[in-house]
Amino acid sequence: MLKNAIAKSMSRSPWIYHVNTGSCNGCDIELVAVLTPRYDAERFGFKLSGTPRHADIVVISGPVTTQSKDRLVRTLAQVPEPKVVVTLGSCPQSGNVFKGSYSVEAPVEKFVHVDVAIAGCTPKPEAVIAGLYKAAEILQKKREAMTK
Amino acid sequence: MMFPFIREALSNLFSKPSTEAFPAAPVQAKPRYRGRISYDPEKCINCGMCKKVCSPGAITTEIEEVEGGQKITYHFDLTSCTFCGTCEDFCDEKAIKLTDDYLMVAEDKKDLIVSGSKIKPVVKGKLACNTDSCIFCGLCAKNCPEGAITVDRATKSWTVDHEKCIQCGKCISKCPKKVLAFEEPAPQGVIFGGEGCVYCGICAKKCPEEAITVDRATKSWSIDRDKCIQCGKCVSSCPKKVLSMGPIE
Repeated sequence: MLKNAIAKSMSRSPWIYHVNTGSCNGCDIELVAVLTPRYDAERFGFKLSGTPRHADIVVISGPVTTQSKDRLVRTLAQVPEPKVVVTLGSCPQSGNVFKGSYSVEAPVEKFVHVDVAIAGCTPKPEAVIAGLYKAAEILQKKREAMTK
Repeated sequence: MMFPFIREALSNLFSKPSTEAFPAAPVQAKPRYRGRISYDPEKCINCGMCKKVCSPGAITTEIEEVEGGQKITYHFDLTSCTFCGTCEDFCDEKAIKLTDDYLMVAEDKKDLIVSGSKIKPVVKGKLACNTDSCIFCGLCAKNCPEGAITVDRATKSWTVDHEKCIQCGKCISKCPKKVLAFEEPAPQGVIFGGEGCVYCGICAKKCPEEAITVDRATKSWSIDRDKCIQCGKCVSSCPKKVLSMGPIE
């Protein structure tokens, strides 16, 4: 019974860890806007966590610069399973206007499997909410598959 | 006053929440919002301008030779797009539009690629200008996406590089004098010079298709255009050089 209660409360509490891999800050601002009272993603339980070790959902923004590549890989390795990886905006998916640069390692799919891609430059806060909502659903499915 | 914010507190108690109800209630994007690209292949003339102005190179094309023309496919990669709207601005045919659909969330990256294709019929003939009525304004050269046309106003010259021309037809629609058209080149064939011919009959003998008939007695020379394969053997074998290749009526 206690296990069920924990599982149920966990499903309503997906914590986010946000990695900025050289983003222009546009997507980062929109992600923070999503947590403000106007959009209030916390009503679905989304909470920005300070460490990857507490996170369920990893939100990646930015075109993965060479400098941040190792940090990204190390951060992702610290996130406990089950984890869901969300890309925010065009940059992590393709490199956007920075693609082809010597200092850009995008797409992020080279390093980790991306579960949800939110397109836009930058995505509208509603799109970010929809993407995170989808990520929470995937997280729940992954968790159920793990406990079985 | 003892409770300075009591009015504010009371009004907030009875007003609706400031949090937007999304996703329970749908939200309409603001006017002129630039979201998911919609592409109408029927309007597209394949000038390639969108591809040139796209800063992240999100637009790719595929051209496939099929029966009755070329199958042209445009892919708009929304995971690479900056949604600047330049492609929409530069599309003269208004085939590209950035819609207000902002919900671009996908688990599969393929869902974020907008594609469209159409079959463009083969254009017969090459671009030509009737320079008699041309005013050499240069609008055709300015609007050519490939830079194939050169117009010099000073010398009143109009030239086109057929290698560069993609036959999009943009110049034709932009020409204020309507002097541009795709013209089929005049059919080529053997031309009989007449004067100087000794009616030796070497040309008829050399013709592999037996298309030429020469009668020495009546001094007549005739060619069957249907049989002629324009090999040019008669022209090179003529001792009097009265035969030549050129456009025929």
